[in-house]
Amino acid sequence: MSAVEIDGLTKRFGDVTAVDDLSLTVERGEVFGVLGPNGAGKSTTINVLLGFLEPTAGSARVLGTDVTEDVQRIKRRVGLLPEAFDGVPNVTAHEHVAAAIETKDADDDPADLFDRVGLDPEDARRPADDYSKGMHQRMGLAIALVGEPDLLILDEPSSGLDPNGVQLVREIVREEAERGATVVFSSHILDEVERVSDRVAILQDGALTAVNSVENLRADLGMGAVVEATVDELPETDPLAAVDGVTDVTVADSTVHVACATPRAKMPALRLIDRATTVADVTIEEASLEDLFEAYTAGEGRAGGRGGDRSGGEARQTPGSGERAATAGGEGA
Amino acid sequence: MSAPTVARTDFRSIRRSYVVVGVAATFVAIVALAFLGSSDVHPHPVRTTFGFSALVAWVFPLLLAPLAYLAVAGDRARGTITYYLGLPNTRADYFGGKYATRAAVGAATMALGVVVAFVVALATYEHAPDAGRFLMLGALSTLFALSMVGIFVAISASVGSRSRAMMGVLAAYFVLSAFWIGPLPALNLDTVLDAVASLPGVTISDSTMALIGALSPAGAYFNTLPELVWAGAPGQYEALAQFDDAPDYLGYEPWFNVAVMAAWAVGAPLVGYLRFRSAELG
Repeated sequence: MSAVEIDGLTKRFGDVTAVDDLSLTVERGEVFGVLGPNGAGKSTTINVLLGFLEPTAGSARVLGTDVTEDVQRIKRRVGLLPEAFDGVPNVTAHEHVAAAIETKDADDDPADLFDRVGLDPEDARRPADDYSKGMHQRMGLAIALVGEPDLLILDEPSSGLDPNGVQLVREIVREEAERGATVVFSSHILDEVERVSDRVAILQDGALTAVNSVENLRADLGMGAVVEATVDELPETDPLAAVDGVTDVTVADSTVHVACATPRAKMPALRLIDRATTVADVTIEEASLEDLFEAYTAGEGRAGGRGGDRSGGEARQTPGSGERAATAGGEGA
Repeated sequence: MSAPTVARTDFRSIRRSYVVVGVAATFVAIVALAFLGSSDVHPHPVRTTFGFSALVAWVFPLLLAPLAYLAVAGDRARGTITYYLGLPNTRADYFGGKYATRAAVGAATMALGVVVAFVVALATYEHAPDAGRFLMLGALSTLFALSMVGIFVAISASVGSRSRAMMGVLAAYFVLSAFWIGPLPALNLDTVLDAVASLPGVTISDSTMALIGALSPAGAYFNTLPELVWAGAPGQYEALAQFDDAPDYLGYEPWFNVAVMAAWAVGAPLVGYLRFRSAELG
C-alpha cells in the first residue's frame, strides 16, 4: 500500500483549473519533494489530501484511505504543516502543541518537540501573535510532529526560516524518514528539495511535468554533469563521444569538456582521457535542480543545462510528462 | 470527539483578546445605568424591565456582533482553520467548539446583566424586585441571546471573508431586530406589511400580521414578555398594561414565541454547519 495515491485528480475553482488530471504515487518511507512555481497546484493538491477541498474529478488515497470517505482516519495518522501557517490569536505555542497532543491522543512532551524544532521554551510560553514568521514555522513544525505521524506533509516548510532553520528542517525530514515516516513536502527552494528528496515531482499549471529522482531527471534531460579535464595534450574526441552516456565533447585550449547524461558515463570518459594524455586537473560540474526546474517549467527552447542534449522538446517527453502519471522509480503510467 | 479542545483553545483566544471582557463590561454597565437611572422614576423595578427588553433586542445584538462574526470567517481568512482541521477534528467538532464558546459568552453576559439588574434594583428601588420575574426575564433574554449568537455564527461559517461576515451579521441585525420590530416608522415590517395590504385585493389579517411579527427572534422575545414577565405587575404602569387585552392570536402565544426563539437558536447554527460542512477551505 502506497502512502499517497493520486489518480486523475482535477480541481477547478470556477473557470480556473488549479490541478489538472494529476496522477502520482508516493511510496511508504519515501521523502517526496513537490516542486513548482506559485500557482502550480502544490497547495491545492495538499488541501485535497487533507479534505479541505473536494476533488472536482479523480481520486486520492492517503495511507490506503480515500480522502472523500474517511478523512478523520487520515488526519489521525498525518502531521501537517500548512502553507503560511498562522496560529490561533493570543494562544501560546505551548498551548497549540498541547491541544494538538490532546486531539491526537498522543503522549509527546511539548518541551521535546520545541527542542527538536529549535523553539525556545520561554518563547513557547508567549502568545504566538508576537512570533516572527520563522518562529511560527517552528511552532507549526512542532504541531506537525505530534504523535509520530506515518505521513508528514509539509507545505513550504522553510518559508520564513533563516539558514539554520532550513538546515533544521532538513534534519527533521531525515530523522522522520529514518523513523520510517513518509515525508511529502512542497517547496520552491530547489536546493532544499534536492538535498533531502528521494524523488521529486515538478508541477506546473496544475499538471505534473515530471517525477523522478533528481539524478534520473538530470539523465532524462541529458543534463547530468560536465567533466572538465585540463590536459597536457588534447586527446581524440571521437572515442570519448562514443562512450555510453556521453552527449557532447568539446575541446578548448588545454581543456576537454565532456557532457555526461548519466553518472556512469563520467568514469569511463575520464579513464579514456587519462590513458590518452596526462591529466593536470579535473572538475565535475553537476547540473543543479534549478537548471532542471527551468528546463521542465520554462518554454521550449529554454530547456537544457550543462549537459549535451539541450532540446526542450525532448525534455517534455521524459517519464510522467506524456500522461501526467508516474509511480515510484519514475515510470510513466 | 474533540469539540471541547477546540472550544477551550478558542475561549483562551477570545478571552485574552479582551472581546469577552469588553462585551460583558459594556452590557453590564449599560444595564446597571439603566436600572440606576430609573430607580427614582419608577418605584417598582419591573417597570424598568420594559426598557431593559429594548436594550436586549436592539443593543445587545450589536455587542454580540464583534464577538461572533469572526468566529469561523476570521479563522478562514487568517488560515488558522488549517490548524484546527489539520488535526483530527471533524468539521462538526470545529463548528461545535466555536459555537459553544460564543454561545457561552453570550449567555453568560446576558445572565450577568440580569443579575446586576436585580442587585441594582434590590439596592436602589423603593420596592424589592420580584425574583421570579427576573428569573423568567433572564431565561427569555438568554434564549434570545442564544438565537442571535446562532444566527451570527452561522453567517460567519457560511462566508469566506471577514468583510462578508461583517456585512452579513449587520444585515441580519438590521432585518431581524431593527426592521422587524424597529422603532422607525418609515423602515419597519409593519409599514411594509401595511403597504402590501393597501394593494388592491390584498388583505393581511391582524392575526397574520402578529404571526409574521413573531417570526424574528426579537419579535418573539418581545411577545413573550407581557404574559411571562409583566402579567399582574404591581404599580399599574401603562407601559406594561397596554398588552393586557392582546387578542388571542397564535403570534402572541408565549409557547409559540419561545418555540420561535428556540428554533432560531438551534436551526440557525444547524444551517450554518451544513453550509460549512461542504465549504471549500483553502
